[in-house]
Amino acid sequence: MKKFSLLLAVTALAALLAGVPAGDALAAMRVDIMNPGQNIVNMALAAPLTGPDKQATGMGAQLQKLVDQNLSFLPFARLTDPKAVLGGIVLQGWEPPALDFKRFQLAGSDIVITTYWPDGDSGTKPVQIRAFETNTGGRLFGKEYARVNSKDLPEVADRFCADLLEALTGNGDFFRSTLAFVKKTGKMSANVWIVKPWGRDLRQVTNMPGEALSPAWSPDGRFVVFSHIDPKSHALGVWDRSTGKVQRIRFPGNVVIGPSFMPDNKVAVALSRGKYPVIYLLNHVFQKERILEEHNSINVSPTFDKTGSRMAFTSSRLGGPQIFLKDLASGSVTRVSKNGTYNTEANLAPDGTLVVYSRMTEYGQRIFVQDLITGEERQITFGPGSDEQPSFCADSYFIAFSSTRGGGHHIYLTTRHGGDAKQVPTGDGQAFFPRWGMPAQQK
Amino acid sequence: MKRYALILTLVMALAAGFGCAKKTTTEPGYDDGMSPEMRAAIQQISDSRVYFAFNKYNIENQYDAVLKKEAEILKQFPAIRVRIEGNCDDRGTQEYNLALGERRARAAYEYLVQNGVNPSQLEMISYGKENPAVLGTGEAVWAKNRRDDFRVIAH
Repeated sequence: MKKFSLLLAVTALAALLAGVPAGDALAAMRVDIMNPGQNIVNMALAAPLTGPDKQATGMGAQLQKLVDQNLSFLPFARLTDPKAVLGGIVLQGWEPPALDFKRFQLAGSDIVITTYWPDGDSGTKPVQIRAFETNTGGRLFGKEYARVNSKDLPEVADRFCADLLEALTGNGDFFRSTLAFVKKTGKMSANVWIVKPWGRDLRQVTNMPGEALSPAWSPDGRFVVFSHIDPKSHALGVWDRSTGKVQRIRFPGNVVIGPSFMPDNKVAVALSRGKYPVIYLLNHVFQKERILEEHNSINVSPTFDKTGSRMAFTSSRLGGPQIFLKDLASGSVTRVSKNGTYNTEANLAPDGTLVVYSRMTEYGQRIFVQDLITGEERQITFGPGSDEQPSFCADSYFIAFSSTRGGGHHIYLTTRHGGDAKQVPTGDGQAFFPRWGMPAQQK
Repeated sequence: MKRYALILTLVMALAAGFGCAKKTTTEPGYDDGMSPEMRAAIQQISDSRVYFAFNKYNIENQYDAVLKKEAEILKQFPAIRVRIEGNCDDRGTQEYNLALGERRARAAYEYLVQNGVNPSQLEMISYGKENPAVLGTGEAVWAKNRRDDFRVIAH
């Protein structure tokens, strides 16, 4: 309830905020994250203020720290060292004309973010956050978050970062997402956990004997489905977020592999049928509805674009496992991966432009993306160790994957362009199978 | 007071009862009623292994003898039920390996059925690469993990 009232207050007050009408944002600066050669944006965080030259030291300092942590996960963002700002980051004002852009220009910052707590920063108080271009003084956006107390700070930080990302790139889904993953606690023992991609709100959601694999969020954010193996059988695990309950659904046959949701909240999963696993579509109550793909070979790991019209999957129809794409309307199947003898774990970008998958190389598994329009393939991870289980964020830009580069299996973030991977904090234990929750789940 | 004494007596009686049951089942030399032939058959099945080449699920000729012997035992002891567990090495990826492990289990299942074993005596599962026999890397380790295990689940 509190969340809804906060959201409502944000929505209403964003438009009313004095001097910061919502439709007045100057979006001159845009960061093109989708094409190669993305630019780096230097961002400076001005000290949070409770008045001119008066630094906020309570909630203001805490919020600043959270925002700083969040922004460190953006590969195109470089945070300006406060010590590099001549004259310091404690300012006379939080918006022009009192806001001194020059000191940030000199420090090389493209954007400066100001935080103002008009009624002080203890107890339950409103906070105004703004982002400006330093060269033009143009405002990228500004919002007031009403009735903020110390418990709300992580949510305010996340909403602010989503807004900033959206203002810069046109898509803030990263900061609205939640990853589901599995954490292994021993041989044949793993459960499903969820965490924000930047490590916040880590939580175990299943507690079952046996091993959970391949979690997948429903588009409406209500369910996480997963394969579940106990010593006797495979089953489809279903965690219902609204009740917290977990079901274990058995099917005739021996396998339940790699479930995935379609945009209409129906599940596709590889189940036994005769000698080979077949990709089935299940209905809304997780019963078999129809076959999506069948062949005298292994066919597993379906994923879909956001229209649900195309399905990427792994098939052994040509010998070793390779990635294929099926047009569900026409039924035509085309081979995607053309190099290497072992390509698996396809994940189709929601925008349908790329497919990401892992390939066995002499150095271990590595992750590749292929442009489905040009056919160009590019390696985006280079180990060390093994890089596996890639998964696209709803923005079709960020990719989560598991890797042994740090020793055991852990979850990392990269982008469709590759680049430095950042580890997602998931606590103790080995973490596998990161899968993004769609933004709708948090609305 | 009387009621408490009654409850106490009941609790003590129950505890004593459970204690006795536990003692009986853990007694060394407990006779499970199994004949030496049955015991030997179970041992032989449990010790059987079929190994596979990388990314393959065909039964190689060298395992004909293993599976034929197993088929004979299962026909001789129709009360024995076996779970065939298909496994893979850890180089491949998990979802594909679950499917490959199932194909490996199925290959042994089909071999046994073709050799006269009643299908109702058999069930299959794939553990993919989740249940390695040996930990480590290198072909010697991987080769030991690409296998079918045979677990007796009833007799």
